Amino acid sequence: MAKYYDIDDIITDEEIVAVIFQKAASGVGIDPSSETDCVEVGSKVELPFWLAHELQQRQAVSMNIPTSFNQNTRLEIQADSACVDLRSQCPYFYEFGCKIAPLVGARNIGPLLLSAFKSRYKEVLTKAHTAAFTAASKNLTILTKEETNLYEAAQSSMAAFKKWRMGGPRFQKASILGRKRKSNE
Amino acid sequence: MYGRKACQLVKELASGEKGQLTPYNSDLFDQVIAECSQHHLELQSLIRKMQEEGLDVQTTRNADHYGALIHHLSLVRNKRCLMAYMYNRAEIIRSLIWKVGPVLPQQIQEKLSHTEEEYFKKHSGALQSYMSRLDLDLTVDMVPPKDPYIQVRVLDDIGVVLSDDKTTNFACHSMHFLKRTDAEQFISRGLMEELTG
Amino acid sequence: MASEAGEGSTAGMDDYETLISTTDVELLKKAWRNEKAAPEILRFETSLIQRIRGQIQLMEENIEEFAGSGIDPLTVSLYQMDLDRTQYLFRSYLRIRLQKIEKYMFHISKNPEVQSRLSEQEKGFARRCADDMERHLEESVLSKLPDNYQDIVKQSIISEESDMIPEPQLDSFVVCKSRRFLGPFQLDGSDELLEMKPDELCIIHYKSIRERVQEGDIDLV
Repeated sequence: MAKYYDIDDIITDEEIVAVIFQKAASGVGIDPSSETDCVEVGSKVELPFWLAHELQQRQAVSMNIPTSFNQNTRLEIQADSACVDLRSQCPYFYEFGCKIAPLVGARNIGPLLLSAFKSRYKEVLTKAHTAAFTAASKNLTILTKEETNLYEAAQSSMAAFKKWRMGGPRFQKASILGRKRKSNE
Repeated sequence: MYGRKACQLVKELASGEKGQLTPYNSDLFDQVIAECSQHHLELQSLIRKMQEEGLDVQTTRNADHYGALIHHLSLVRNKRCLMAYMYNRAEIIRSLIWKVGPVLPQQIQEKLSHTEEEYFKKHSGALQSYMSRLDLDLTVDMVPPKDPYIQVRVLDDIGVVLSDDKTTNFACHSMHFLKRTDAEQFISRGLMEELTG
Repeated sequence: MASEAGEGSTAGMDDYETLISTTDVELLKKAWRNEKAAPEILRFETSLIQRIRGQIQLMEENIEEFAGSGIDPLTVSLYQMDLDRTQYLFRSYLRIRLQKIEKYMFHISKNPEVQSRLSEQEKGFARRCADDMERHLEESVLSKLPDNYQDIVKQSIISEESDMIPEPQLDSFVVCKSRRFLGPFQLDGSDELLEMKPDELCIIHYKSIRERVQEGDIDLV
């Protein structure tokens, strides 16, 4: 696994997926609606993706399309993608979408991701660097992790460019030591 | 159980600012380790049950098998989270050595586990060894050179320092005109600041 | 540098021009840029680095002489700046490689082909890196896990192969260009053909042009 230690990959794999058990499982308390520690065939349970994925590979469960990619969300995104608060819905929207698309047989997830990204990039990310936009900074709180990374990369490039143009101290205190300067005045 | 606490540990690390270390969470870490033992016990008892029923553990696919499978997968998931927690922290520790040198600042030391402190020292040694084999200090000259000399103000009482063939007193608030590479590490550690204009 | 036969007389002329205008510092800059942009560690430029070290030492000695012999200080500082820039490139080149070794230490330790791209000192560093990390992970995590789950490269005893090793993402996109007209040539690992005009920027999967970068036909930006 090339991304074994990748934190974003690990967190993405924790996204919840609804599954239907095709086989029974005993001795596990993962179904909160069950009174015993058994899961019956046909039970609908919400599992983290890492577990759902492995169980589906062994034909023990079948995954449903997660809410973030269902009809309602699709309509919302098509209507006005720049306003959809993807971060609270699914902060790893694109990464998770890519993982789940081949597994639930939904051929429209791919195009949905692409169109969402394109229009959000245009509406939110390109405008995020104007002063007026950043003042209304609530727009940044709706960005997914990937979009935020892009935003921050652009910000730091811009800052570096300005610094290069205007001069100023080129050496800085290591960021890991924190930003507060010890004041001994 | 079932990976939830383990992911919490990872998320806690991710919640820190980029490149910053959160304090080592030994409580949560130990809880996840305990859950691993728990999953292992449950896994083993389900396997034992199958063996007692005379079933072939390798090929039987009954409810006990799937239960055991879920425990196994949870264990593997916990392992991944624990490993990633330590591995990514180690990565930040390594980047530290580049920025602040071989001496661990107090405020960072408080955030590390004992094993992590040992790792810091060992890796520092590995880097030092490489640099001395080449007779080269790679922890300076981290920024492309513009002026060979820069003006600095001392922020902390560094005291008298011997360099080349002269001694300088870096008293607090004093200002100096130093070679870029000589000032770099002091600035990175927050002991001096660069003055411009 | 490999030159390709049958590309016409202009290619031959390009080679000649490149040869006379390329100094070791420019080669260092190119090696540095490639190393910076490539997702994996590239072949160590042993002879180039050796020459650069020698030249840096010579420059340092010259500058000391000049400074002592009363040559115009402005000239001395120009030489100094030139030296500084070369030293920066040199140190940065070595640093970038060390940081890649740190990042992919397990991948390197299990991969003799990648190891062959390292200098002798880098090999020693890579070994120590992997050993220290292995010990650290064993002590803090693996030794506390149940038997059958204690391996450092296999998630559990039932894993068929090493499934815990981070690897460089060879399909990441890179920006590249060629100094001469190239192609049409076949991309590594596919049937697609690509043509590159001199100094035209191209954004492409690194793995498609991997060999070309190694041979020096394509430069990463």
